[in-house]
This record gives sequence, structure tokens and C-alpha cells, in this order.
Amino acid sequence: MMQAQTHLEQATQKKAYLTLVAISFFCVIPFFWVLLAAFDPQATQFLSLPKELTAGHFYNLLVNESGVRWIFNSVLIVGLATLLTLVFAGFGGYALSRTSAWWKRPLLYAIILVRIVPPPALIVPVYKVMLWLNSAVNNVILTLTENVEQQILLSRIFSFVDGYLGLVLIHTAMQLPLAIWIMKTFFDAIPKDYEEAAALDGASQMQTVRRVLIPLALPGFAAAGLFAFINAWGDFLMPLMFTSSPELQTLPLGMFRAFLRVDAIDYGFLTALAVIYTLPAVIAFSFARKYLTQTFSGGVKG
Amino acid sequence: MSKIELINIKKQYRQTEIVKGVDIQVEQGEFAVIVGPSGCGKSTLLRMIAGLEDITSGELKIGGKVVNHVSPDKRGIAMVFQSYALYPHMTVAENIGFALSLQKVNKADIAARVKEAAEMLELSPLLKRKPAELSGGQRQRVAIGRAIVKRPQLILFDEPLSNLDAKLRVQMRAELMRLHREFGSTVIYVTHDQVEAMTMAQKIIVLNQGVVAQVGKPMALYEQPANQFVAQFIGIPKMNMLAGSIKGNTFIGENQQQIPLAHNYPEHAKVHLGVRPEHLQLDRSGSGWKVFLVERLGVETFLHLRDEAEQQVVIRLEGDSPVSEDETLGLSFDAQRCFLFDANQQRLSPNIEQLKHVENRA
Ligand SMILES: Nc1ncnc2c1ncn2[C@@H]1O[C@H](COP(=O)(O)OP(=O)(O)O)[C@@H](O)[C@H]1O
Ligand SMILES: [Mg+2]
Repeated sequence: MMQAQTHLEQATQKKAYLTLVAISFFCVIPFFWVLLAAFDPQATQFLSLPKELTAGHFYNLLVNESGVRWIFNSVLIVGLATLLTLVFAGFGGYALSRTSAWWKRPLLYAIILVRIVPPPALIVPVYKVMLWLNSAVNNVILTLTENVEQQILLSRIFSFVDGYLGLVLIHTAMQLPLAIWIMKTFFDAIPKDYEEAAALDGASQMQTVRRVLIPLALPGFAAAGLFAFINAWGDFLMPLMFTSSPELQTLPLGMFRAFLRVDAIDYGFLTALAVIYTLPAVIAFSFARKYLTQTFSGGVKG
Repeated sequence: MSKIELINIKKQYRQTEIVKGVDIQVEQGEFAVIVGPSGCGKSTLLRMIAGLEDITSGELKIGGKVVNHVSPDKRGIAMVFQSYALYPHMTVAENIGFALSLQKVNKADIAARVKEAAEMLELSPLLKRKPAELSGGQRQRVAIGRAIVKRPQLILFDEPLSNLDAKLRVQMRAELMRLHREFGSTVIYVTHDQVEAMTMAQKIIVLNQGVVAQVGKPMALYEQPANQFVAQFIGIPKMNMLAGSIKGNTFIGENQQQIPLAHNYPEHAKVHLGVRPEHLQLDRSGSGWKVFLVERLGVETFLHLRDEAEQQVVIRLEGDSPVSEDETLGLSFDAQRCFLFDANQQRLSPNIEQLKHVENRA
């Protein structure tokens, strides 16, 4: 009886594993092709084993084209946006978790509503607001300095349209709702006792936040940060809408433009770009993974 | 100076009053226990002393200074939480030393004081572990270590032993008393367990529905309960209550049994006679009470009896007793140990002249 059961279980497990292997294989193939093609001097649109390996596509991308610039832009904009998102989501999530005010629920639903509306539907009103802010900021910049070169530099950094600040803020705004929800849910699971214990240990509010709350909320920050980073990293619409100058191009835009070129498609170039494009997401994930799986238990009982 | 004074302290959540005007004094170095049934406002009271909860009205003084609006980190108080609330991301040593590291005490001094506390609590081999790797009793010790390491003038305990098993609880009770003797800090200890209160307290504060029912030394509460609530809350099994009336120095029960008392009392039509199970004797020649349950524990035996009026009493006998269920017996009451409570559940005092007479004789 027992043996028959284990036998049956083994058979079921075997089937499950086989199915998983098949699915994984199916999922991995495109990545595999991208990886192979990126190093293949004769890359085509078909999967084939390269006869020799080359770093030429990467060299081409980084040196001959503006690859470095695109990477720099993407990392800077998305990195800053993720950082800002985490700061705001930390404060907002904590407040929404701890308050018992009547507006708690309405506000929570309002926040998630922002996320539910598809971004293209928001573009017109958002663009309007950004344009208005943009002219205000540029007026300020014009009064600050007479030097045209300085004006251009400041405008590049602080403009809301076709500037770094605008892209950072719009990405932050897009990623914030989900991040706030993640952090709120996470803080819900951290009992108030820890903060009270810290207060009685003589910790000021800042010390409580720095030495108790943030360490305890790390897995939450890792999850929220990872989602924010990956979503913003892959976002195509916002950079497309809010940038025009080539100096501000991000990786997805660069890839898109490369794809649109009139002459024949350079698969080696594109796949090299794709590899570089995928890399930060993988790095971000492996970085966050350590904290994602880290769970704290045993502090509170009963 | 760390005398604690609560003056007419009240706590209100929205419309409901939870703590209804509490006056308590706890002397420096005293071990005071606040005891009461679940939900009577003990934790709320303690959290107000700690500063974790606003005081709706009244005054809280520590060492003569009003601290109503002083934040918890400035009150010089330590607290051991019912949940322990050990920081899960810190080791045992870091947990214990956290308060000191906040005060910017230098590392060597922190290590020395953590070591000292750990030795006192037998935690030395566990200092490098995280709370998740400890048993319930060990976590409890860490929580206590965290409280004593900063040598606070006042330590608050909120039901610290309620998550431990019975054996460990007895052990920790003794340990806490030893620590208190060694440290001399003032302690306010909250529990719903009257055994903890009786065994540990120098002063017991009995709380009932947000009101102080009585304050006193453990034996004073046992021997001179001020009201029916305290009489029945202190002592296991709880004090027997018989309804009836009083005439002179005789109590007349609902079953018409007449019980002679030690003193004359003013006449009352509706009173309760209270007598503890250990102050009742079996009267084998008598009748009127039927045994319906016998509990034999070896050192003692509890008999549960019932009369015709369906009133129940419990009686405690030393050792074993050859009594069987359904037997009918009589009871004899220790007249000196009977208490009378009026319709408002307050204890009745004997007539004044009679009392003087007794005092003169003594
Ligand atoms: N934050 C709160 N809001 C409303 N009522 C509360 C709150 N905290 C406690 N209470 C109520 O106050 C009463 C006393 O609670 P508590 O002090 O925890 O009792 P105890 O510790 O004696 O068991 C309970 O009836 C509880 O429901
Ligand atoms: Mg409580």
C-alpha cells in the first residue's frame, strides 16, 4: 500500500519534471539565440552555432554607435527613479500601514487606480502638465545665467520635457503606486512592538527608522525596488514621449531606432544590444534575491 | 529617586473609558504587581506609564516630576513586552546592547555590560545567535537582559511569563525575584495570574474594569479583602459565596442553615457570606450538603458540594479523604474566617462596639 503510493507519487513527479523541463527549454531558446548571435560574426535571424566568436558587435555598439551614452542614460534615469521610488514608497507605505484614519482605504484604492489606468491614456494630460512645468523651469534657468552653454546644460538636466529630471520624475510617478502597496503590505507584517521596544531602548524616531525599521523592511524594499527598476528599465513609451534630442536616448529607444534603420537589419548589433539591455535586470535580480528570500522570524511571539 | 505616582489617571478611546481614574503609588525599589482579569485595562495602564499611550487625564509622576508629556525614550524606563519584541535582525548580544549603543557608550563598555547581563541570565553561550534560533524561555531571558542592561530606574513587565510552559514559569518567577533583589530597580509587573501576583509582589494592585479594587500586601489582600471581587480573585480555588441574610451574629443561608459568626453585624436582608475552601471543615454527623465531585491531588483533596437550594461550595482537605460522590455531609464554618459582603459587594464591618470589645481583649 505504502509502496504503491510512493511509486505513484514518483511517476507523477517525473511527469511534472518533464513538463517543467519542456517549458523551460521553450523559454530559454530565444535567450540562447540572442546570446549566440551576439557573439557570432555572421549572425542571422536563424538559430545557428557560430563558427567563430567575436566581440565585434559589442565594439561596434559601444564605440562606433552611441551605446555608452544609451547605457549611461538608462542607468542614470532608471537608477535615480528607483531610488526616489523607494524613498517615497518607504515613507508612504509606512504611513498607510500605521494610520487608522478614515481616508486610509479611499487613498489606497485611489493609489492603485493610478496604476490600473493604462499609461497611454495618461499621456495627454501628463504631457500638458509637464509642458507647463517645463516652461516654468526654463524661465527660471534663463534668469539664473546669461551663459548659453550653462543654460543648455541646466536645461538638459532640469527640463521636464526633454530633460533628465522630467524622465526621472515620470518614471518615479509610474512606479510609485505598486511600490507603495508592496511597502504598505510589508509594514503591515511588522508588529508595532519593535518600534515601541526601540523607543523604550531610548531610540529617537530617526534611530528607530535607521536601525530597526529599515533593516526589518529590507525584503520589502528589495521587492519594491526590483519591480520598479525592471518596469522602468523596460519602459519605452515615456522616453519616447518625453525626449527628442539624441543625447537623451535610453537603451530601448536606441534599440528601436536601430531596428528602424532603412538598410538591412544588423542582427549581430541588435542581439548585442539585447544582451546589454538584459544584463542590468539580471544583476538587479541577483542583487535583490538575497534580500527577497530573507525572512525575519522569532522576534515576536504570541 | 524613582517613586511612581499615578493621580486620577484616565484613558478614553473615542467614547469608551477604559481606565477610570486610577490612583496608585509605587515606592522606590518596590516590586508592584498589577493584577486583574483579561481586558480590565492593565496593559493600557502600563503603556501609559511607559509613554506608549497618551494619558487622557490625570497626572503621572516619576521621581516627583510630572512626565505626562515626556516621550518614552526620555523617561528612563525599560519594558519587557509580552511578545518579547526582540529585534530579529540582531544577534542576542546586539539585542541586549542596543540601548547602550544608542547612548553612544563605547564598544568595550557595551561588551562588558552585555557579558555581565548575559552571565546573570545564563545567556553567555547564546550571544551570537539570532532570536529565531532560541527557545521561548531563552527569548524571555534576552528580553529581560535587554531591559536590565541599561540599569533603568523603573522596569515594566507586561505578562512576561504568559508564553512559557508551567514549569519554566515557576523557574522564571524565582529568577525575576532574584534579579529584583540584586538590582533594586522599581518594578511594575502586570499579570492576570493571581499566583504570580501573590508569590512575587511586595504590593498588589487589583484592577477590575478600569478601577482599582484594592491595593495592599499579598497576605493583606488574602486576609482582609475589601470587596467581593478581590475576595474571589485572590486564592485558588476561589472563595465560596453563599447568599442569605444576617441577624445579629448569625448568618441565615437560603437553605435555612444557621451559621454563627464571630461578631455582631448590622442587620441586612441580602448579604453574601464568603469563606475560603481551606477554612471549611467536614462535619460527618451533619447533613444538608451533597458531594458531587471529588478531586484528589495527593497533597490535598477538593470536594465540590451542593445543597438543596443548588448553592455550591468547594472545600479543601489536607491529604486524601475517604469521601465518595453522592455522600451527604454537613459543613462547619470557621467563624473567624467568614466575611460578609453587602448588596454592593463591599465587605461589611462588624458593629463598632463589638469590634472595640474584641480589640480590648487582644
Ligand atoms: N487602541 C485601542 N482602541 C480601542 N480600545 C482598546 C484599544 N486598546 C485596548 N482597548 C480596549 O481596552 C480594554 C483594556 O485592554 P487592555 O489594557 O489590553 O487589557 P488587559 O491588558 O487588562 O487585558 C479592552 O477592552 C480593549 O478592547
Ligand atoms: Mg494585556
